[in-house]
Amino acid sequence: MNSKTNLTIALIIIIAIAITSIGFKINPILDHYDNFNPEKVYTIKYRFFFKSSDRETSLKTYLPRSNSRQRISEEKIKNDTALFFSKKEEKHKNIRAIWKTKNKDTYNSVDYEFTFAGKAKGFKVPQKFDLVSEKHVNHIIEYLNPTTNIQSGDEIIRTLATRLSQNVKNDREVIKNIFDYVYGIPSAPIITLTDAITTIEQNRASCNGKSRLFVALSRSLGYPARVKGGIIVENADKRTSHAWAEVFINENWVPFDALNNHFAYLPANYLELYHGDKSLITHTPGIQFDYTYEIKEVNHVSFLKMNSEELNNLPGFSLWTLVDKKVIPMGSLRLLLLLPIGGLLVAFLRNIVGLKTFGVFLPVLIAFSLLHTGYVSGIAIFVGLIMFIGLISYPFDKLGLLYTPKLVISLTIMVSVILIATHFGIKNDIDWLTKLTFFPIIILTIATERFSRSTLEDGYIKAIDKLFQTLIATSISYLILSLSWLPSILILFPEIVLIIIGSATFLGRYIGIRWVELVRFRPLLEPEK
Amino acid sequence: MFSIIFNKKSASASNVIGLNERNIRLIYPNNPKKYYPLADDKVLTKEVLHKNDIPCAKTYAVIEYNSDIKSAWESCKKYKALAIKPANGCGGGGIKILKKDKEGNWMSSGEIISDREIFQHMASIIMGFFSLGSHDRVLIEECIEPHPFFQEIYPSGVPDFRIITLNSIPLMGMLRMPTEKSDGKANLHQNGVGIGVDMQEGRLLEVYDGKKYSNHHPDSTFLVNGAPIPYWKEILEIAVATAKAFPLNYLGIDIVIDKNKGPQIMEINVRPGLGIQLVNKTGLKEVIKHAI
Repeated sequence: MNSKTNLTIALIIIIAIAITSIGFKINPILDHYDNFNPEKVYTIKYRFFFKSSDRETSLKTYLPRSNSRQRISEEKIKNDTALFFSKKEEKHKNIRAIWKTKNKDTYNSVDYEFTFAGKAKGFKVPQKFDLVSEKHVNHIIEYLNPTTNIQSGDEIIRTLATRLSQNVKNDREVIKNIFDYVYGIPSAPIITLTDAITTIEQNRASCNGKSRLFVALSRSLGYPARVKGGIIVENADKRTSHAWAEVFINENWVPFDALNNHFAYLPANYLELYHGDKSLITHTPGIQFDYTYEIKEVNHVSFLKMNSEELNNLPGFSLWTLVDKKVIPMGSLRLLLLLPIGGLLVAFLRNIVGLKTFGVFLPVLIAFSLLHTGYVSGIAIFVGLIMFIGLISYPFDKLGLLYTPKLVISLTIMVSVILIATHFGIKNDIDWLTKLTFFPIIILTIATERFSRSTLEDGYIKAIDKLFQTLIATSISYLILSLSWLPSILILFPEIVLIIIGSATFLGRYIGIRWVELVRFRPLLEPEK
Repeated sequence: MFSIIFNKKSASASNVIGLNERNIRLIYPNNPKKYYPLADDKVLTKEVLHKNDIPCAKTYAVIEYNSDIKSAWESCKKYKALAIKPANGCGGGGIKILKKDKEGNWMSSGEIISDREIFQHMASIIMGFFSLGSHDRVLIEECIEPHPFFQEIYPSGVPDFRIITLNSIPLMGMLRMPTEKSDGKANLHQNGVGIGVDMQEGRLLEVYDGKKYSNHHPDSTFLVNGAPIPYWKEILEIAVATAKAFPLNYLGIDIVIDKNKGPQIMEINVRPGLGIQLVNKTGLKEVIKHAI
């Protein structure tokens, strides 16, 4: 009894320490709560070098602005003193930066740096589009007119557009047909300007040709459309910018990237810079000019508006240094931190709820795999594998083999099935088949073995019932583990691990009736009448 | 909210013991893990029973190695009936009942079985086929003939009593019987039925088939409820003697009644199931309260 009291006291102290330590950090963290919740954060640096000519020399580029899916902050401009910098808002709300110098034949450099926080945004495309309302008509009209490179009035474009809009039921299908057609054009890294008609004729284009053709076809059928320019932000130095298209649908500009197959969707790492068929950089012709975009991904906590340094300076103990110094890759760290939470969840499901599962931690590990494969296809693959392997190893069960060698056979069959399926999936471009390798093979094999033994010993109904319970536990684990903010919380408050130990101790001493026992013992629990 | 999650109210209001409470309150403090083999290994169980002169099926032979199979079998050939069991088997797997017919052939489940087949069966027991791959021993023992009392209720299979004891006090009992659907097995979760036992009076109570209660065995018309149990006093006595003989304080003791020799211990269990509460319509907690 004495050792129990000591243990209780020790646990209370541990939990108290954990809570105090959390308490120190909670205020600064709540103060910096960020409801923007970006998925990706990068620092981006435009670096320009040029030699001025014998006349006045200028360099112009577009600067980003914040909107509902991107946030631009910490802008810093560094240029040589000889350069005159100005910034102006142009038509269509584009922001243009201009550097000018009157000095002749001098070398100049410009660094423009900012932090980009982005999140993906999907748009719903309705079946039928509303007519453009009165108040928008005036400024929308220009997005229907042909231009030099977007020849929406041309016969070739009009014929193609008519063909694509034949036998369709609604506006959405028209746009989808245009999208599929443009996406179907083979892509090629063509840097030179490709207009809409050339794109059709060459049947080969990069983003600039594809976006112009998409816009031209849309305009030709009466859908207001425009080219959109920006950069696909990656953790690298790059020189390529990107262009995609936008269609004005029910008062919204909806993005379509027919090069990278994003239909009414903009990924988190798309930096939007300008509207219209423009070049990102323009400069006085005939000068020596070079540039790069230096891009670095920044570790961040999605719900906090704090930079790395501020996070490091939080009072108390956090795991941010591990993230910041890249001691452990983010993915592995996430997995490590989620394991105890998942374990506690399983303990809860087993001892409080009373679910029976194949393998104690199998639900958590399968839930991790589901994070990679997606829920529905993952569950289907999991059930499919267990059933399939169970069926194949059935004759070996009948042979009456010893346990371990039989397990080896199941494992080998499992590995073979996964390899063959993955190979088949890659060859025939079946996406879900390529994801089989995400599953923890050995644990899955043992679960399969238990399943097939359970069908022999307890019958199919009991075995399937237990499989069903395993699926419920897996789904609940998936629901919890897929919360995107959970790993960040664990990184900021590693003390939670202590609380998990405390909770597990409490669970370990729990003597209450399990939920499923409420059903089992119902005749005894209901007051007799 | 907490009271909903953790079933605070219903747990305190009822006298039912769930798996959590069974493990923490009954098994962990009363049954030291190091003595589990005494219950799990039938050969060890019987050694303790024999030493204490507690009635149980006579051991004819224990075979540990394949090389001993032949000589051990020779010594057993003189018996008319016997049972071959894996010492560490679970759920009744690997048990074979052999009986001689008039011509002296060994019969198993109504068919003639050759010496060769018997040897093979023993070899697979030793290889651990019925005990999850670990090496095991073969136990050959006297065959129990069920008491005619059981024939009246249901004629086939071997029914047994399960008595739960805590600190050598019998708490609760039930009679487990096979049914048409249970394929000779008497276990509740294998479609057998449980019959409640009035511990004071030594009478049978209602029959529970896992869903509902009745006064009859599902496959017969014999009125079970109220029927007096033969040898009830002896059953309790050997249950108590068994509980005292083992260093395990919370036990499920399985007892059969032999036609000639009366009550015999079959085996003991360190993790007895909780379904017995349903069979008797009584929570174990209530019984424990009264017993102590």
